[in-house]
Amino acid sequence: MKKKMGIGKLLLYTILVLYALTTIIPFLWALSSSFKSLQEIVSGGINFIPKNFTLGNYKTIFIEEELFPRWMFNSLFIAVSVTLLNLLFNSMAGYALARLNFPGKKALFIGILGVLMIPAQVTMIPNYLILKELGWLNSYQGMIVPAMINATYIFMMRQFFVNFPKELEEAAELDGLGKFGTFFRIVMPLAKPALAAQAIFIFMGSWNDFMRPLIVMTDAEMFTLPLGLNTFKGQFVSYWNYIMAASMVFTLPVLVIYAFFNRYFIKGVSFTGGK
Amino acid sequence: MRGKSSKKALREAGQGFLFMSPALVVLLLFIIGPILFVVFLSFHKVQLLGNVSFDFVAFDNFKRLLDDTRAKIALWNTFKYVIIVVPCQTLLALILAATLNAGLKGQTFFRIVYFLPTLTSSAVLTLIFMWMYNKEGLINKLLDFLGLPTYNFLGDPGIALNAIMAMNIWSTAPFFMVIYLAALQDIPDSLYEAAELDGANALQKFWLITVPQLRPVTSFVVIMGLIGTFQLFDQSYIFSAGSGGPDNSTLTVVLLVYQYAFKTLGTMGYAAALAFLLAIVILTATLIQRKFSKEESLY
Amino acid sequence: MKRKKWLASLGITSILAASILTGCSGSEETSKDEGSKDGSKKVEVSLAGWGGNPTEEKLLKQTLSDFEAKHPNIDVKLEIITEQYMDVMKTRLIGGKGPDVFYLDAFEAPGLIETGVIEPLDEYVKKDFDVEDFEKPLLESFQVDGKTYGFPKDYSTLALFYNKKMLQDAGVEVPKTWDEFREAAKKLTKDKVYGYGVAPELARMFWLAQSKGGDVVKDGKANFATKEVEEAIKPIIDMHNVDKSAVEPKEVGVTWGGEIFGQQKAAMVIEGNWAIPYLKDTFPDVDYGTAEIPAVGDKKSTMAYTVAYVMNAASEKKEAAWELLSYLTGKEGMETWTSKGYALPTRKSVAEKLGYDKDELRGPLVAGAPYATVWAEGSNLPIIVNNFNNQFMSAFLGKTPLDKALKEAQKQANSEIESK
Repeated sequence: MKKKMGIGKLLLYTILVLYALTTIIPFLWALSSSFKSLQEIVSGGINFIPKNFTLGNYKTIFIEEELFPRWMFNSLFIAVSVTLLNLLFNSMAGYALARLNFPGKKALFIGILGVLMIPAQVTMIPNYLILKELGWLNSYQGMIVPAMINATYIFMMRQFFVNFPKELEEAAELDGLGKFGTFFRIVMPLAKPALAAQAIFIFMGSWNDFMRPLIVMTDAEMFTLPLGLNTFKGQFVSYWNYIMAASMVFTLPVLVIYAFFNRYFIKGVSFTGGK
Repeated sequence: MRGKSSKKALREAGQGFLFMSPALVVLLLFIIGPILFVVFLSFHKVQLLGNVSFDFVAFDNFKRLLDDTRAKIALWNTFKYVIIVVPCQTLLALILAATLNAGLKGQTFFRIVYFLPTLTSSAVLTLIFMWMYNKEGLINKLLDFLGLPTYNFLGDPGIALNAIMAMNIWSTAPFFMVIYLAALQDIPDSLYEAAELDGANALQKFWLITVPQLRPVTSFVVIMGLIGTFQLFDQSYIFSAGSGGPDNSTLTVVLLVYQYAFKTLGTMGYAAALAFLLAIVILTATLIQRKFSKEESLY
Repeated sequence: MKRKKWLASLGITSILAASILTGCSGSEETSKDEGSKDGSKKVEVSLAGWGGNPTEEKLLKQTLSDFEAKHPNIDVKLEIITEQYMDVMKTRLIGGKGPDVFYLDAFEAPGLIETGVIEPLDEYVKKDFDVEDFEKPLLESFQVDGKTYGFPKDYSTLALFYNKKMLQDAGVEVPKTWDEFREAAKKLTKDKVYGYGVAPELARMFWLAQSKGGDVVKDGKANFATKEVEEAIKPIIDMHNVDKSAVEPKEVGVTWGGEIFGQQKAAMVIEGNWAIPYLKDTFPDVDYGTAEIPAVGDKKSTMAYTVAYVMNAASEKKEAAWELLSYLTGKEGMETWTSKGYALPTRKSVAEKLGYDKDELRGPLVAGAPYATVWAEGSNLPIIVNNFNNQFMSAFLGKTPLDKALKEAQKQANSEIESK
């Protein structure tokens, strides 16, 4: 009996490690390429250890590209603002759709689902026109305000709240807490795992967003990182060495955020553990 | 009418709208507005550039859809893609999440490593896939070693579509895995303890408790998967250099929408109509999914 | 207690973020106004283009600062659109907020000119601008109904790039005719090296397709499902499927011809001027030469790709925009821009001065200019290209017979053109 368990576990770990390899290899390859020269990358070799290890790519990005700190700031500022606003507004909307009764709720819910079904390629032009009318082109608010809610995560939060045990909220209401009080003091703290997932995705989405800044931002000073780094990709020549180094620098903040929020996905942190 | 309960209902309705208000404002201005504009476009023949013109053509754009063979091909390709990718990625995400939530040693490490594909930029992924998939690449070397036939994964988009599928499943599953991980935290331990007392084994617990408890979230994952795959664009754009070839084998609906919206001038109205057709298809698929999943009575 | 703090900080930061938003736009406005204070009104002209490599960008900035030094009342704001240039440009033009001056590829020109967003330039031109100096076919691709809408800033033709060592080892002479080329490719194919690295798309094969007297486009419609065109492009397919001496870059895991040539996976490619600095930067060890494209029969042909500076018809600063445009395409500006050989000058006088016709590598490219076909053919070309590429690829991979693929593509293209 005990031995069988051991084999099962061994098998499980083997699968886990094998799958981990398929996910980590591309990443490691990008990492190793970021220390290679362009010539070494395009020569088509498949060596993981750089033949001529160089920090030159990172140097070029940080030092020679004088706008790099500015792009970093733009990206961070936009992503952080968007994430905080989304966490608040999506959760409120999701909660209302899951828990409160008001006329037109069903229609609203379907409407929110519906807007996700129109491909962005056709709404690009009207979106641009609206920002133009507001005079928000080439500005931070042009990037942040339209992105401060997200139908996908309103939907996600609703699905989470639907599953919540009602008892706590009812108890809170009996204690005289209003809907807002209940929401902010009881519901939101309980929703930490969902909020953590949301925070990761929204930060990542905003951080990686390419099309919106491409259209909204015209000045190089207002570029976000993906836009700025794309200048390394020429019409014919792609500077893979810089692209790889840049994408490493670019991935790091998201990885840190993910690792940070990951601790909310451990059993016992949320209400069941009664922290 | 003026009873206590109706007053309470009124108050709750007010609060409901208050909770919704920030979302509603942004939605109306930046999302519903543009969509209404697209609706308007779909009934017109438009030239937005330069000498702007709008000619009302009623349902002509929709009628044109009926004899557009490329639209039909695009729809069929997209459909094939959805049917394979959505179940695979959902199942994979669920299994990964359940495994990584079981309290194994080193689970934090695995959780971070498994999330990497979602983080790695698409430019890097494309490059790596080119490296692995090319004629003399890693995968073909492996196939050759095993005595299996080798393929031109990238040049031959008939096969490339399958390669795209694999890449998509592999890179999207971690995204949904995180959502499942979050949802797993909300299943009360008491349910598992009760099942354990009844003598359920791990697999039974998974099927009888975990899966049903995750139903609302699964519904979210499947619907988002449907929307995401029905709107496949990036990969087929890259693989076929925007043409959808060869012989329309990588043509997707959104790629076609894009071609009509941007590549050819004056066909924006038709692109809008096509986008609507797609939205209706996705909506139908979503409703079918709802029927199947027998989700909550809550709506 | 802890929870409250967490929520409070969330609330405060979001309010903070919102207040910063509203504050930011104000500061920009004020900084713009300051320029106009010192009596002489300063005009800001925006110029949009796609990015190039770092050297090209330096050259452009150099040209612009020369211009600003000569026109102290004009400031140039450079806007680089790094990806999907035409999509973004069309969107911006729809909003009426497009840049004052921008790049326009000859391929996209007819369609855009048709819509009326491009300003005709004839009335701005003064005598000393010397329009006659431009290579005629290049200029003509920006002319519609006798009006000129743009002046070409640079161009490139296609030429044959060959790996000297591989040709020597195989005992092959540089091919002068298309038949010799095919034979040479066969001989050069061995040990995972292919004779010819081909780009199976219309933009690169248009000259070949027309070489036997066929017309790919006729009266604005697709017309390539003809015997002449089929016969002309058949060799490409045979080289790939019968001789197995031609390969497409993606088949060997690279993105384009320059790369396949640099990695020495193909002994010959047909590329343009852009490949020269690329090879110098990334594959300095490859010893190669260039030659004019092998003649089909006894007729020499090649493609020319050109980009012009055009003016936005909705611009509010047309006078200043013309100053910029005419400097950039004028003798002086063009000389700076093309001085490093990243692009070839479209003015005969500049070309002569820089002497690229005598350059060892660029000579064959320049030699092609007089007989080149410019890559532009009316406003329906994008539809035609799209359908051609889509189906041709299928024939190239040996999945569909060429005649059937061409017929299918032509039918689809023309039905799209008709229902436009």
